[in-house]
Amino acid sequence: MILARRRAPLLTLIAVAGVALYLFPIYWMFISGLKDSAEIFANPPSLFPRAPSLAAFQHVFARENVLRYLRNSLAIAVPVTLLTVAMGACGGYALSRLRSRLVDAALFAVLMLQVFPDALLATPMFIIFKFLGLLNTFAAVILATTSKTLAFALVILRPMFRQVPIELEEASLVDGCNRFQTFRRIVLPIMHIPLIVVGALSFVQAYGQFVYALTLLSRQELQPATVGIYSFVGAEYADWNRVMAFSSVFVVPILVLFLALQRRIVAGLTAGALK
Amino acid sequence: MVGSRSPLLFVFLAIPILYLLALVAFPVAYNILMSLQDVTLGNITSFARPFVGLDNYREVLGDPDFRKVLLNSLLFVAANVIAQLGIGLAVALFFSQRFPGVHFLRGLLLAAWMLPALVVGALWKWLFATQYGVINFAIGSPVHWLADPSLSLASVTIANVWFGMPFSMILISAALTGIPLEPYEAAALDGAGPVQRFRYITLPALRPALLAVACLITIYTMRAFDLIFAMTGGGPLDSSNVLPLFSYQFTFQQFRFGIGAAIGTFAFFIVFAVALLYVHTLRREAVE
Repeated sequence: MILARRRAPLLTLIAVAGVALYLFPIYWMFISGLKDSAEIFANPPSLFPRAPSLAAFQHVFARENVLRYLRNSLAIAVPVTLLTVAMGACGGYALSRLRSRLVDAALFAVLMLQVFPDALLATPMFIIFKFLGLLNTFAAVILATTSKTLAFALVILRPMFRQVPIELEEASLVDGCNRFQTFRRIVLPIMHIPLIVVGALSFVQAYGQFVYALTLLSRQELQPATVGIYSFVGAEYADWNRVMAFSSVFVVPILVLFLALQRRIVAGLTAGALK
Repeated sequence: MVGSRSPLLFVFLAIPILYLLALVAFPVAYNILMSLQDVTLGNITSFARPFVGLDNYREVLGDPDFRKVLLNSLLFVAANVIAQLGIGLAVALFFSQRFPGVHFLRGLLLAAWMLPALVVGALWKWLFATQYGVINFAIGSPVHWLADPSLSLASVTIANVWFGMPFSMILISAALTGIPLEPYEAAALDGAGPVQRFRYITLPALRPALLAVACLITIYTMRAFDLIFAMTGGGPLDSSNVLPLFSYQFTFQQFRFGIGAAIGTFAFFIVFAVALLYVHTLRREAVE
């Protein structure tokens, strides 16, 4: 044990070095955005920007409509998050409380329905939303993306709702609350942290949505940042400092959300996927 | 259980299930329908389309590019499963030791997995750039990671392993902490070394979890689209193309909807079979 304790600081050191190396690409993204047009193509590349410059950031804000792209990404991600959490809470609660063949079948359906690649559902989605007259609206991308986040949310939330003691609900029902009041006033407040985690993960998925935005939105002024970034890198030649500046601005909200909720996200993921 | 047959619960269950049936099950079924029809830009939104039986499938199977892309997909998935499980297990074992900051540092790796796949693709395209990329600088030789047909699939695989490994590692870590300590104490008393303990206690205890994680990796990598689309667009010469991207190209670039749908069906069958295995594994684990 004494040996183990003496080794501990060394292990921390190894872990810090390993994690830093693993996440080097993210560092490189931010640092590349801070280089000017000459330094980005310097050979050998500088591991720290010699003359940090905000020129690339200024360019993407002034010329590439980054703010519009970000607004569009948020206009998709926020409603997806709300829809997913609302339907996920209802469904996860029902799945954790009902016990019948029907529920087994529903759970099986949810697990199976989360596996289909969205690129392969893009054509039917296109036809559905054309039929509904929703092409070139955020609603189409929101509804399509929610089909992906919802299945994931149900899988994660069901085991968490099961941990809410049934005695609490029984007491509330005895006190004269009906089932819905019990759900709203007793169950949901207890579940607020798992719901925040599911909301954060749904937000991240919707914020990064690409295929449905690409196929359901043809008007450039509606497209989210993923499509905007793709229009940069799809070409043979790219101004990498600008692409990386754009990407950096785009991922900051995700990284902030992640750092704020890191421990809970880890706990949420492990609770759902293997149970 | 009080009110377990409450009608409210059935309504609560019906809302998300109907949603998923409408926007996942229906599109899947519709896709299979299209794969049996001659679908053109003219009749895409009407239901009155000529059925052509299995013609689309025959054409797809006769296409040497399809065979190449199918093989690519299988290689891409297999390499991801092996690398993510292998590296994920090694990293999870490292983080199962006790040292200051262990949980924070382990969780930090997930930052890679949180990024949008499209951004990961753009970022790795830059890292792999032949002339100015930092990877070629590090190895000191101008390798054409993305432009060389014999390397492009390996390059997108490396990027995807980087992207997905932290998630796999976190799941393996969770399974590791679930192993009871008693067998280790007994084995230590009997004089078993760390390799023996790993071989005879850890690995057998982890087997169901590793199988479940392998299924999840398969499902997630069969889905890969954004990352490859951003890095190589499936090229050069379909050398890094995979089924979802190949299907997308037929549908949205060549407007050959029936062919795109038929290619999609092959991918559906693969993920469906793996998902069945996954659910079966979870069930068995839950029973034990």
